[in-house]
Amino acid sequence: MTFSRRLVLGAGAATLSFPALSWGQANAEKKLVLIVLRGGLDGLAALPPIGDPDYIRMRGRLAQQGALPLDATFALHPRLVNFQALYQAGELLPVHACATAYRERSHFDAQNVLETGEARPFGRDSGWLNAALGAVRHRSGGARGLALSAQAPLVLRGTTDVATWSPSNLRAPDGDTIARLMDLYERRDPALATALQGAIGANDLADSADQGAARGQRGIANLARVCATFLRQADGPTAAVIEMSGWDTHANQGLEQGALARSLGALDEGLDTLKSELGPTWRDTLVVIVTEFGRTVAPNGAGGTDHGTATAAFLAGGRVAGGRMLTDWPGLSERALLERRDLRPTTDLRAVLKGVLADHLGIADAALARDVFPESSALRPVQGLLRA
Amino acid sequence: MPDFHAAAIAANRFGFGARPGDLRIIAGDPRGWVKAQFGPRAPIPAAIAALPPGEDDLLAFGRWLAARRLRRGNADAIERQAGRQGVSDEELRELSTEEDFIRTFRARGIAAIDARIEAAITTDAPARERALHFWSNHFTVSAAKPAAVALPPSFEREAIRPYVGGAFADMLVAATKHPGMLIYLDNWLSIGPNSPAARRAELRSALGRSVGLNENHAREILELHTVGVGGGYTQADVQALAAILSGWTYDRPRLADYVRDIRGERSGVDLFLFEARAHEPGPQRLMARTYTSEGVAQGERALADLARHSSTARFIATKLARHYIADDPPLAAVARVTQAFTRTDGDLRATMEAVVDCDEAWAEPFMKFKRPEEYAISVLRAANIQNLPAGAGAAAVAALGQRIYAAPGPDGWSDRAESWLTADLVYKRIEFAQTFGERIARADIDARRIGDEALGALLSEETRETVRRAESPSQALALLFAAPELQWR
Repeated sequence: MTFSRRLVLGAGAATLSFPALSWGQANAEKKLVLIVLRGGLDGLAALPPIGDPDYIRMRGRLAQQGALPLDATFALHPRLVNFQALYQAGELLPVHACATAYRERSHFDAQNVLETGEARPFGRDSGWLNAALGAVRHRSGGARGLALSAQAPLVLRGTTDVATWSPSNLRAPDGDTIARLMDLYERRDPALATALQGAIGANDLADSADQGAARGQRGIANLARVCATFLRQADGPTAAVIEMSGWDTHANQGLEQGALARSLGALDEGLDTLKSELGPTWRDTLVVIVTEFGRTVAPNGAGGTDHGTATAAFLAGGRVAGGRMLTDWPGLSERALLERRDLRPTTDLRAVLKGVLADHLGIADAALARDVFPESSALRPVQGLLRA
Repeated sequence: MPDFHAAAIAANRFGFGARPGDLRIIAGDPRGWVKAQFGPRAPIPAAIAALPPGEDDLLAFGRWLAARRLRRGNADAIERQAGRQGVSDEELRELSTEEDFIRTFRARGIAAIDARIEAAITTDAPARERALHFWSNHFTVSAAKPAAVALPPSFEREAIRPYVGGAFADMLVAATKHPGMLIYLDNWLSIGPNSPAARRAELRSALGRSVGLNENHAREILELHTVGVGGGYTQADVQALAAILSGWTYDRPRLADYVRDIRGERSGVDLFLFEARAHEPGPQRLMARTYTSEGVAQGERALADLARHSSTARFIATKLARHYIADDPPLAAVARVTQAFTRTDGDLRATMEAVVDCDEAWAEPFMKFKRPEEYAISVLRAANIQNLPAGAGAAAVAALGQRIYAAPGPDGWSDRAESWLTADLVYKRIEFAQTFGERIARADIDARRIGDEALGALLSEETRETVRRAESPSQALALLFAAPELQWR
């Protein structure tokens, strides 16, 4: 009843806690945000190796001129200005020439491998992040992860409890109708009452991030803002997943302008929003940006790139040992390429993720090799991803 | 003596909720009303009959792919293909420049979802339609896999709908042979390692890419379609079934077929194709039986045995009881349904009658939380909506958290409340209830009457009071549509 009254009176929504969306509390107050770029990010566009002797020749009309330099070899796409600032502040660690264990070129299968953490498509129907959250010691029950989407993506599906929040195309109900329903649910249906209380708390919190407009907006910056609002709560979730599609740039992907530049600009704004909205929690947050595969080195006939293999990934956050590149760069000469067309993978993405989960969330090697990334015991977690 | 109480339970638990007037029809014999819908012959709903056949969907998808490749500048391979098939440059251009085609292709998918919803809101045999949804979910083919994007609707119509009151074994064979399933679970890519096709491919292969069995379909048949996890199969059985099913593929349309399609000439694609040269030769041992037959008969015999396996009976009975009775169904009910399935060799009419005859299926309170699609359909039926604007149903159900024909994986949509009774999704139902209530509110539409006609005696005093006290007709509708009684069945 208190909820309905408060709503009717229009009391400060952001002060409400989450009665139903109660989050499991981890002992260490560390946060993980996974941003999944669906469609296959062109790592050579996001993180161009402008100093590679073969870059201009192999990349042809898609060779970048105005990229933002990071070191002697690598630069960032001109729209990743906030990425560059983070790099300069030592809070961004770009990873290059990395890939999952998958070596073919189907989005569907590749995303399945990216999310299950298995070596092959359809090894299981649950995700590595769910398994990882299951392995983190929590001192209270409740959801440990949050998906900023209507259905939890595969990476977050599994036996560990997770919650979802997503924008809606439908019009928000008025407070009076909600209050009357809450009253009805409380009398007739405790399960619905609990769910509605959780939704009210979550929506008020989400709306407080953006003056009441959050539920109608789908952009990544809005999702990042809502995500940060959840994470910075004293009793918020341990991990969150944001999905972003539109990376399958087969045609006219452009350089400083165009479809890919727009997507990268949105991603850049999203990361910046996440950092600023997280406030002090940024210090304890690690953002991981991954995609299912990279794209061909050479442009195709339509000014785009086709499905490839290795690509870029990014780690960002207050604890990241950044301001440097993490790569065993294979080069771009014809002989260096995989099947004479793709950037050759030299870093297994799982090893990076294992390093993140070990150092940031304190997950033991045994659990990482067995439950989180099955049959990966031969793959050592990458060390030193975080500042000591 | 008419039983309105049992009628309301029948309409909700076995159908998609009552339309105005339904309860009076059902009340004479609620159990008989459900059972009568599972007769051997049932009319195909008009909206479904109007959809194009699967053959057209295959052609449409193939054309869309070909056009996309041409437009993206990867024309070389397609031009070579065209040359081999005697397709002229002009015809090829025709394939790639038909501007509206992608829109048309997308519109087909939306039209199919509209038809599924329209069939469910207008049918006089809602229990049969609900069973169709159950079986279509049991044998999931999902548009979430791009290669299968065009096929779930025709799969449902051609491989599931004809068998809802028939034999499980027939449905299993039809589902396994349909191109929708063969593509969704990759069996069309599976080549017996000792088949003539594999030997030829190895000789030709410059990359050394391995040619072999794809176990995906075989594994899901065992794990999801028949005996179930823990049904007593091993990895060796998966491999044996994959070998048995190698060569089960479909007749892939050629560019020349697309050209004929543009001209409106039927191409005569036969959907299922047994490709003998890709079939693994020799006997196979599957779940303690040896299959020595040659060719397609080997797979047909194996599927027939899997369909009548005792683990299959238990697995199917458990799923049915979970769907109709409770997330964790009472063991006694599962046992009775298992027995009916076993006794009749998987006759689905008799099996369904056994579900109806379980007293647990008539118990209260309602134990099952409706999935978003069921929820939306039941609200539309309660409001007596006959047809919707194009795409509106698909959009509403998607907004409620379920993309029809696009389940996330081969295990289909969850049949447990915890997947759907979440804060976010419950809130979306309220948003839907309010939006829809506002849209249909008129002076002559009375939420109290809609509630009585849809739920009769099952409508609680609290809900009646809440609806009665609403400040406006549209709020009354919103409160009714979001009431607990509309969300559970």
